[in-house]
Amino acid sequence: MTEKNKFSIMHRTNGEVDCLHLHGYLDALTAPELESSIDKLIKDGRKMILVNFRNLDYISSAGLGVFMAFIEDLRKSGGDIKLTEMNPKVFSVFDLLGFPMLFDIDKEDESALQKFANGDIKGDV
Amino acid sequence: MLYKNLQMATLRAMYRMYSRNDTYSNLICAPGKYSELRKVRKFVSTKAELFGFGADEANQIALAVDEACTNLIQHAYHLDKSKQFCVEVETSGRRFVVKILDDGEPFNPLDVNSPNMKKYLKEFRKGGLGIHLMKLVMDDIKYSPSSKSRPQNVLKLIKLLQ
Repeated sequence: MTEKNKFSIMHRTNGEVDCLHLHGYLDALTAPELESSIDKLIKDGRKMILVNFRNLDYISSAGLGVFMAFIEDLRKSGGDIKLTEMNPKVFSVFDLLGFPMLFDIDKEDESALQKFANGDIKGDV
Repeated sequence: MLYKNLQMATLRAMYRMYSRNDTYSNLICAPGKYSELRKVRKFVSTKAELFGFGADEANQIALAVDEACTNLIQHAYHLDKSKQFCVEVETSGRRFVVKILDDGEPFNPLDVNSPNMKKYLKEFRKGGLGIHLMKLVMDDIKYSPSSKSRPQNVLKLIKLLQ
């Protein structure tokens, strides 16, 4: 397991979509940082959030909990959280718990952005 | 009171013995804070890979241990960093066993029912996935609460090398 960096988030805006690029590892120590970033976006009235996992090495249930914390309210307001570019180790944790039933998990940002543009929401649980 | 002091002294002694970065040690001890989780994961995944597990399985074992320690730090130790817990790796044959020792209030994760994930996701529920993940990735889990003969609670997470 290579967990080089602790945790950081790089934020980019792509039109109506806010892209959060995660680096490092997401566990009970670092999950509150992601939670407050997403919370701030929502308080600023943003509701389309793309989270890119390319540089995330590790996730535990504390990290998964952040996405469950916001998805219901975001969907109610017509928004969504879409997840992209997970490495197989990180994807396996989402997959073990069936999260792909609830969340769009895309290989690339492009397809997730296209789904935002089309208003596609995965909710067919 | 004497019993409690003895427990703490034992854990402190274990901590002093093993808190050095000893590559050959099969035991690591840490204070009750989340910033220790990374070190514990690294310890467990390194041992698992040395035993013969691939990187993905080693990651899953480290995840199960992370979940157990996170619960322990949060619910049993209430983020009290003056308290210590220890993680020990034991192997025999194909069995890779991670023992987590603590001196908090006994809590048996096997008493917690696993959620129905379809329902969980459909109803946008929150929390309570750590123990479920532990059960999903490990082959067997055993729990022994502290007793007069053994001052610590012991959680054993077991994975078989295929």
